[in-house]
Amino acid sequence: MGVTTQTIENVLIIQVTGRIDHITANVFEQELLPHLKDCTGEEKKAVLDLSRVTYMSSAGLRVLLLAAKQCRKQQGELVVAALQPFLQEVFRISRFHVVFTIFDTVKAALDAISPAAAAVYDGS
Amino acid sequence: MAAITLPARLDSLAPCTAFVAACATAEGVPPQRVSAIELAVEEALVNICRYAYRRETGEVEVHCTRNETQHLLIDLIDTGEPFNILTLPIPDLTTSLDDRQVGGLGVLLIQALVDHVTYRHADGRNILQLAVRLPS
Repeated sequence: MGVTTQTIENVLIIQVTGRIDHITANVFEQELLPHLKDCTGEEKKAVLDLSRVTYMSSAGLRVLLLAAKQCRKQQGELVVAALQPFLQEVFRISRFHVVFTIFDTVKAALDAISPAAAAVYDGS
Repeated sequence: MAAITLPARLDSLAPCTAFVAACATAEGVPPQRVSAIELAVEEALVNICRYAYRRETGEVEVHCTRNETQHLLIDLIDTGEPFNILTLPIPDLTTSLDDRQVGGLGVLLIQALVDHVTYRHADGRNILQLAVRLPS
């Protein structure tokens, strides 16, 4: 499990890699939540790129809910992008589309939340 | 039948899911379904550790069997306190983010990801059985 970030204009793209289960979820929480502390208003938005997450159990879903609640509290915008088919299934069962705005790709997420970031995003 | 016995602890998660994944793969289950089975087994194991063995330590046996009706049966058996994890409440999934409860999704995922789940208590053992229809 790994978390890397990239800032483009006013958007922090957080890319998560690997398998998030009841063993790795603690590290996921510790690595993810601090990145979101500046996520507020128009100044800083966040895209969670899950294209490289192959597996996520309820322990990972719990961390995502904590992240969403933290951003809401700060009036920040956090969206999710690029779910693999298995994660789409897990999200559907958990009805996470009720709590997250989900995009097919990072580019689509940027188009929606920050045209300025989308204009310079090179897809890497 | 294949079987494995592991300490009922969180660090048994990787060997437990690897064992079940190997059984499912050997029975011809495609990769995404294997992940779904692993996830259901993870949620079951975590709840056994959390509830059946909340006061003591113990073991969990995992049995994988193919039955005559083309199902893979995964039995998770423990000798902890009698506890039916299927009775755990499922959170309200229709609420907004502000009201959404954090946690409690494990049992929902188990029930959604396998074809049939049953619990019984017999001879001092909790037996949770997950049934997965095999590809024909």
